[in-house]
Amino acid sequence: MSKKALLEQPAALPATADGKAAPARRRPRNLWFTFGPFAVFLALFALVAVLRPAFLTGGGMAILAVQAATILLVALGQAMVLHVGSIDLSNAAIVIFAAIVLAQTLGPLGVLAPVVTLAVVALIGAANGFFVAFGQIPSFALTLGTLGILQAASLVISNATTVYATANGQLLAPLFGTALVGLPMAFWVGVVLAVGLWAFLRFTRAGEGMTAVGLNETGALFSGLRTRWFKVVAFALSGLLAGVAGMLVIAQAGAASSFGLGSDLLLPGIAAAIVGGTAITGGITNPINIVFGALTVALVPIGAAAVGVTPQAQSLVYGLVIIAAVALTMGRGHNEVVK
Amino acid sequence: MTNASLAPRTGVDTPALKLTDISKSFGSTHAVKNVSLEVPRHEVVGLIGENGAGKSTLLKILTGLYQPDSGVIEADGRRVKFRRPQDAVAAGIGVVHQEQSLLSNLSVAENIAMNAMSSKDAATRYGFYRWKRLNQEAADILDRVGSTIDPRTKVSDLSFVDRQMVEIARALRVDEAIHAAPLVILDEPTSVLERNETAILEREIRSLREIGSVLFVSHRLDEVLRICDRVVVMRHGEVVADVRREEVTEEDLFRLMIGQESRARVRKGGSAVGAVAAIEAKGLGRKGQFKDVSFAVSPGRSLAIVGAMGSGRESVCRAVFGAEPVDSGALVVAGRPVQGWSMRRAVQHGLAYIPSERKVEGMVGGLSAAENLTLVHPREAAKGPLLRRKARMKAAEEWFEKLDVRPRDPSLPLGRFSGGNQQKVVMAKWLRAAELSVLILDHPLRGLDPGASQTVNDQIRAAQDDGAAVILLPDTLEEALEMADEIIVMRDGDITARFDLSVDSPTSLDLLEKMV
Amino acid sequence: MTDKDTGTGLLEAAPASSPPPQRTGRFEVRNLGEVLALLGLVAVFAALNPATFLSPENLRTILDQASLPLIIGVGATLVILTGSIDLSVEGVMGAAGMTFVLLTANSRGSADLGPWAIVAGIAVGVCLGLLSGLVHTRLKVPSFIVTLGVWFVGLGIATVLFGDQAIPFLPDGGIKAWPSTLTVGLPNSFLLAAAFVLAGLFVARFTRLGRFTYAIGDSEEISKGNGIPVLRYKLYVFVVAGACSAAGGVLAALKLGAGSATVGIGTLFLTIAAVVIGGTSLGGGKGGILRTAIGVLMLTVLNNGLILSGISPNIQSAVSGTVLIAAVLVATWPHRSRLRIVK
Repeated sequence: MSKKALLEQPAALPATADGKAAPARRRPRNLWFTFGPFAVFLALFALVAVLRPAFLTGGGMAILAVQAATILLVALGQAMVLHVGSIDLSNAAIVIFAAIVLAQTLGPLGVLAPVVTLAVVALIGAANGFFVAFGQIPSFALTLGTLGILQAASLVISNATTVYATANGQLLAPLFGTALVGLPMAFWVGVVLAVGLWAFLRFTRAGEGMTAVGLNETGALFSGLRTRWFKVVAFALSGLLAGVAGMLVIAQAGAASSFGLGSDLLLPGIAAAIVGGTAITGGITNPINIVFGALTVALVPIGAAAVGVTPQAQSLVYGLVIIAAVALTMGRGHNEVVK
Repeated sequence: MTNASLAPRTGVDTPALKLTDISKSFGSTHAVKNVSLEVPRHEVVGLIGENGAGKSTLLKILTGLYQPDSGVIEADGRRVKFRRPQDAVAAGIGVVHQEQSLLSNLSVAENIAMNAMSSKDAATRYGFYRWKRLNQEAADILDRVGSTIDPRTKVSDLSFVDRQMVEIARALRVDEAIHAAPLVILDEPTSVLERNETAILEREIRSLREIGSVLFVSHRLDEVLRICDRVVVMRHGEVVADVRREEVTEEDLFRLMIGQESRARVRKGGSAVGAVAAIEAKGLGRKGQFKDVSFAVSPGRSLAIVGAMGSGRESVCRAVFGAEPVDSGALVVAGRPVQGWSMRRAVQHGLAYIPSERKVEGMVGGLSAAENLTLVHPREAAKGPLLRRKARMKAAEEWFEKLDVRPRDPSLPLGRFSGGNQQKVVMAKWLRAAELSVLILDHPLRGLDPGASQTVNDQIRAAQDDGAAVILLPDTLEEALEMADEIIVMRDGDITARFDLSVDSPTSLDLLEKMV
Repeated sequence: MTDKDTGTGLLEAAPASSPPPQRTGRFEVRNLGEVLALLGLVAVFAALNPATFLSPENLRTILDQASLPLIIGVGATLVILTGSIDLSVEGVMGAAGMTFVLLTANSRGSADLGPWAIVAGIAVGVCLGLLSGLVHTRLKVPSFIVTLGVWFVGLGIATVLFGDQAIPFLPDGGIKAWPSTLTVGLPNSFLLAAAFVLAGLFVARFTRLGRFTYAIGDSEEISKGNGIPVLRYKLYVFVVAGACSAAGGVLAALKLGAGSATVGIGTLFLTIAAVVIGGTSLGGGKGGILRTAIGVLMLTVLNNGLILSGISPNIQSAVSGTVLIAAVLVATWPHRSRLRIVK
């Protein structure tokens, strides 16, 4: 940086009057980057289909989509936060919290219940973002803390038991009740949101601003961008999407508890985002690829079972596949320091 | 004016270092051309020259980072070839760079021992640290260079001058293998020091002569003449003078360095329309950086702020742009005082800032050139919250033509372009503003080749003609005299002189006088 | 000679960041801050529950509860000091614990290698640490992801070893009783933890591994420039962390009295929270094992005190979470600035 600049002298640089840049090779890497996650999913899927044709005929895809739906939503939220260079460890806890709140309010509030729930969790997310951006608290530590707080909150409002959505459950029934192309609506909701986020990042100024923040926050700051608000928005989106995932939990199980369905979405969410090509340092995210990332992550246990891996070894396979998938799909700078 | 104690020792003939006809080119540029010089034993030789004179390349050759295209290097009488930095170290040449190379988390003793860690060093045998021994060895070396630093101190707790001393001690350690006189190269060691600290360093350097030789690279001519026995002057890659210090004065050296004195271009009577100043600083102050800074720049006029390191001028510019806070004073933009200043608000008020740290602050390297171009002022490239990619590309292509940016592909990440082309895009980014009121430039030509420099300067003038007020921190005094309508000189946080170039006609020496 | 500076090179820009020399005093005061906080907590709970909190039994319980995170904390601190993170703790604990139980006298009668079972358990941790370290340093996969994967791998290994037979129990009256047995009035588990902490402090102060860890955490570039084999030492650090996690797993298995893949559940949160509360920076280079130890004690005392005070166990994680946020806030507040980038 400045130290280097002080040493370097203009004449000493290989000076070419026309200032040529490094050759603009459209490296094959870019192609891989765009299609990698899809390729990985396809390869895995093909493997499973070949080894267990019953998977295809027995409605395997539908089961896969059901599993992938919640993972996808959590992954999309996480990806938004990763995009600006931070991390949200609390978003899985938000899923449970949202599900419990929804279960309790569906009865009294009816149609308003999902709206209220989403508003609440979006605010929680925004609070996370606020502390990180304006309080200058590292996101890892902050969201670790809010994770604890939310877990406790969930236990308290659910009284440490399962909360059932006793009334108005039919509002959410279509999510897993109806299917499109054989896959449940819940999954398509995720896909639509993914496309929406993709468009947001690609076609709006705010999306581009968030990308700038992720790539070089200082540079973005010196360009007069509202970098802190972008970070708040990213965390708010994470909360909001976690809320939607919470709705899916209720739609699927009709109940929510701190230990039940959806309580272990944090790691699959992060894994799905990263297998989907999201750079952990920020600035590089393709929400559509995260759909494939989520499908891949959901496929591993299902595929492993279908292929005959003993239930005991599934975790093992899961871990290895995650590492391999990330090693393949992530973008790396040449001499960057990797921590 | 010879100080007898500084006269060179007699009796040792073989020079510690002798260069004969060293040349090095990069493409068509001759960075170093037929350089011959000698550093006798127990002498301090100063090496001076402007930016671009070839000092840095020469140093890299001496430390094994570059190989010379031709010429001979002799260390202590033996011909040597440095293929890697380790070879230079083995030949007894240690260098203390400007940049931080100490591990600030570790203690002084550890840092000093670091290079020798891998050898059969008793203090860290089998991977265990014997602190007592380590500290003792470090203390011995520190004694040799006349320093009283406690080797147990953590480096991050040291002052800059102490860190320099540790670096020097470390550089001397490299010579343990051969018992001849080591050569220590000091590359701008005083650039980060305060005045009083440099006195301490000067004393230490003089005592280094007892042990070996020193090659002292600096731009502070007064120091060079105080400390060195001989002075070598480089210009445009060649050695233009090799004199004993008694034979020259500072002014002689200065003239040798730059070739001639620069005089300000006569300006037409100010283009100021007597209107409200575009930007006015009133008594700005920031603790530890600058105090009571006031100036006003009218639309279409340019102000250059010159000063040495530590003058505070960079901080002033950043404060004006809202990048750094001020403790006191007020800022008035277009006649209206501002409250709650931030970079975002500055941009909204039509300010622009071209930072010296281009890669980190000036641009987002991962975004394409086109995206960078429209990041601050999208204008036609966006409609409300939506981006218009085609319009953006078109605008980018136009700017690329206008500024001759190569390669002509705005979709490439800006980080992939050369420095000069990056700077052109960075300038365009700000010049695109519908209403650019104040353009602040922090060392805009640094690292740029002449072609890019020309383009940038043209753009600055064009912006001025369009009515922007320009605040410039130039790299050289010539730049200031060439480009500015007004010059302010700062020293140690205060304004020491003002020149209005429509009435005054200062020379570079006039400016320099007030800078120190 | 006039005191004049000449030379056009004079106008070079000031270095962007000149680090202000830090006073040694300030560091010590901060260290003291954590100790004071700990003592403060003790005082508060002692006041609330004089009879129960300060009873020797309860104090022993606290020390016993602190032992596991202390051991894990040693390895975790070293990893975090280099600027990386190790999420695989619980998986390694499970794998190592299961290996140990199955190789010592147990209800399944699978084997009885005596003390070699412990060695085997540790070896499992070393291998998993090696895996994490190699993938991270050679394939350049961020430590977050690698150790996330190894977490699952560890859990998987534990589950595979468990198989589909009955739970392997450790026999009564055997080594199962070791952790809670008292020696010099303190539970063995704590003495073991103390030994680990002391060993960790020794490594940090007297070995290249420790010193280079700090250097790497400060700046990998400068470290490389000084000839430190950065990748190799990062690898060592992961191996050590794996060994510590394994040791923790063995201890946890002993305390549980059986082999369980999830023997480590909850340890990760606790350990990382302790590291952060103790004042070790997640960015690397600053902090230490002693600080983590204080952080562990703080959390343990806090949890213990809350239970004794009758606070619902449900809100325990909220308290830990709040303390964590407060600790980080206090640590980072003085450094707030317009241009500071925090991710």
